[in-house]
Amino acid sequence: MQINDWQKLLKKVRKPGRYLGNEYNAIHKDWEDHHVRMVFVYPDLYEVGMSHLGLAILYGAVNEQPGMLMERSFAPGEDLEALLRENHIPLFSLESHRPLTDFDVLGITLQYEMSYTTVLNILDLAGIPLLAYQRRAGHPLVVGGGPAVANPEPLAPFFDCFLLGDGEEALPELLNLLASLKEQGTACERQEVLREIAALPGFYVPSLYRVNYQQDGTIAAVEPVVPGLPQRVKKRVVPDLNRAYFPTRPIVPYLEVIHDRIMLEVMRGCSHGCRFCQAGAIYRPVRERKRELLLRQAEELVRHTGHEEISLTSLSTADYSQVEELARTLADIYAGQGISISLPSLRVDAFSVRLAEAVQRVRKSTLTFAPEAGSQRLRNVINKGVNEEDIMTATGEAFRAGWQAIKLYFMLGLPTETEADLLGIVDLARDILRQGRELSDKKPTVTVSVSSFVPKAQTAFQWEPQDRLEVIKEKQQLIRSQLKGPGLRYNWHQPEVSFIEAVLSRGDRRLAPAIMAAWRRGARLEGWSENFHYGYWLEAFRETGIDPEFYAYRQRRDDEIFPWDHLDFGISKNFLQKERQRAFAGQLTEDCRRGRCSGCGVCPGLDVSLCLAEGGRD
Amino acid sequence: MRLRLKYSKIGTAAFLGHLEMLRLWQRALRRAGLPLAYSKGFNPHPRLAFGPALAVGVESLAEYLDVGLTEEVNPVATKNRLQAELPAGLKLLKVIPVPDGTRALTAVIDLAAYQASWYLPPAVELLQQRIEALLARELVVVSCPGRRGEKLKDIRPGIYKLSLTADNRLDMLLQSSAEGSVRPEQVIKALDWQEPDRIVRTGLFTRRGDVLLAPEEVI
Repeated sequence: MQINDWQKLLKKVRKPGRYLGNEYNAIHKDWEDHHVRMVFVYPDLYEVGMSHLGLAILYGAVNEQPGMLMERSFAPGEDLEALLRENHIPLFSLESHRPLTDFDVLGITLQYEMSYTTVLNILDLAGIPLLAYQRRAGHPLVVGGGPAVANPEPLAPFFDCFLLGDGEEALPELLNLLASLKEQGTACERQEVLREIAALPGFYVPSLYRVNYQQDGTIAAVEPVVPGLPQRVKKRVVPDLNRAYFPTRPIVPYLEVIHDRIMLEVMRGCSHGCRFCQAGAIYRPVRERKRELLLRQAEELVRHTGHEEISLTSLSTADYSQVEELARTLADIYAGQGISISLPSLRVDAFSVRLAEAVQRVRKSTLTFAPEAGSQRLRNVINKGVNEEDIMTATGEAFRAGWQAIKLYFMLGLPTETEADLLGIVDLARDILRQGRELSDKKPTVTVSVSSFVPKAQTAFQWEPQDRLEVIKEKQQLIRSQLKGPGLRYNWHQPEVSFIEAVLSRGDRRLAPAIMAAWRRGARLEGWSENFHYGYWLEAFRETGIDPEFYAYRQRRDDEIFPWDHLDFGISKNFLQKERQRAFAGQLTEDCRRGRCSGCGVCPGLDVSLCLAEGGRD
Repeated sequence: MRLRLKYSKIGTAAFLGHLEMLRLWQRALRRAGLPLAYSKGFNPHPRLAFGPALAVGVESLAEYLDVGLTEEVNPVATKNRLQAELPAGLKLLKVIPVPDGTRALTAVIDLAAYQASWYLPPAVELLQQRIEALLARELVVVSCPGRRGEKLKDIRPGIYKLSLTADNRLDMLLQSSAEGSVRPEQVIKALDWQEPDRIVRTGLFTRRGDVLLAPEEVI
């Protein structure tokens, strides 16, 4: 794009700082000197995408390699989208302002189901055929990655391939392969390229797998269509994070983004084994970084970014075996430089609160906990290893330390849930408020935030139906009617969003036309509640003849073949089935980092092991 | 110790708003390892004080920023160190130590000079007539969007100078103080002229009688 046209566009849009591409630490490699060029696409606005650690890691890891370059692109704001469409300008990358079609690879991260329509919108804005089979030589290869790849089937027709698991090693391998194919001149044979990619560990080429269905609509089998391909594609794991690439010169955005701070990844994976949690299942095993390495990375990150906050990032940072030593050391080192330490996710216990109190110099007004369920019975069902005493000591500690606002996250519609469990949420909130009034001299508030349970692929609850919309609404109404009074607040998620999530998260390839139909009606950026229109989806399902309830509300057979069964994230279906039975029996399964191996199958199946920093806390 | 920085903001850097500049400077100063003085309190911030805010999309050759430090530093070395931490489009022009008790930038600045230009040269004679007509008026009322709907405002007292340069650009000298400011776009709208392709702030000044002094001259 010409500089003048570019500046004229910028003058007309809100937050032009999103699109400049020359932020501090942004990498501008010479286009001609690099043989393979990839653009990383985050299918949401800049402020969301730039908060994503995965982007920072892969951007650095690829650009570090000679012969490769990676640039960025995000979903444009509505105003820029209108201008692009009106002036027939294709969507561009931020660094070189080139159309996305100039790149060899378009890597799209799939963080949540509600971004799927935005993915289609981006392909359309870029002028790339939406369906993979319509793409020709010269069109970029469209690759998907991220947690939603736990079941990418509803998107299968739109993608050339998916990467399962960690990307920092696998992605450069893919780009190397493409570089050599380009050199040999075979890159123009798209089918050939896809076959080569399918032979790389961790890469799944959906067009090379055929799905057969049974009379009742469930799956009969998923099989490779060419000989030599694996029956199941195994995810990639970086076995030792101490040796893995980690970016210490991340881009410093001009705009205030959602996570506007240093993200120091202390570990990957979580072994709590909450039975609803997909991240806990697909990021196994737990791999911690050594404390000395983290201190070194923190020092470089501070020096290279100038950020004023270091967040110790992971799925459950309080579990990091040296969290206390690490957090206190960092707090001591950086207190004098106006840099604060934060813990993004607190475990529900007094230890976490004391730790937060000790290191979080910048006092946020609200402390958030996630008991997830209102009764001990149901917390046992989901394997959330906390009891009421843990919760009350944690909140008591928080009130004593001066926090006045407590926020509690719950899920509604969990398997086996009864009215007693819902009233348990109300009782717990009232008990905590009473406790707050005794311990705090100010006016405490307790906020109850309730989302609806979405059964996810690769979890122990993947067989379970979601509660029907009308049931969810009734349950929400029950809680709301009981949670009235001074000091109590209640917010809830749109249950219609959770319903669409439930359809997509366990859907199959037959859903692709519905996603396309919803997008054609105008669906995009649906992670923003003001952009979510349930009507688009209902019309889309009607038009494409899809019964969404088949995916969301059906109790699946014990022996059912799932659309994602051929995607091997290490965790075995047998183990998940056993966990499901233990859930119904109310039996807890111990965290494997503390107790014995629970037999999830990840370590032997992927030839990896639990990797803890030395010297545990216990 | 306090340092007064003068810098230019050119090209796409003009698209960075005031809050973005605040964040950018805080981070650049921290990366440069300067001994920043922090405010007291729960959430300490570096002590930075800017001159009058610049509208998004307007470039500048004369932006100012005062930075509080806890130790003496060498201004020349600081200028070099800090420049290395700035993104494209921001250039440090001067770094001057400021004695304690010097009045804040917002307190001393009264006027701002701007230059507007068009890719296609404007019809000079017509524009010249419009300028003269506007300057001859006693009242120049413009409407500005306020929090409670449109507000009418007389900008004539805030227009000190309007003239065309030899290369057909429009020079403006406008009020820019704590009491009120006139924005260059308001003047161009009052001239009923097309939006310029480029507006550059060329200076900020303190008025001492008929003499205009730059902020670096009133220390």
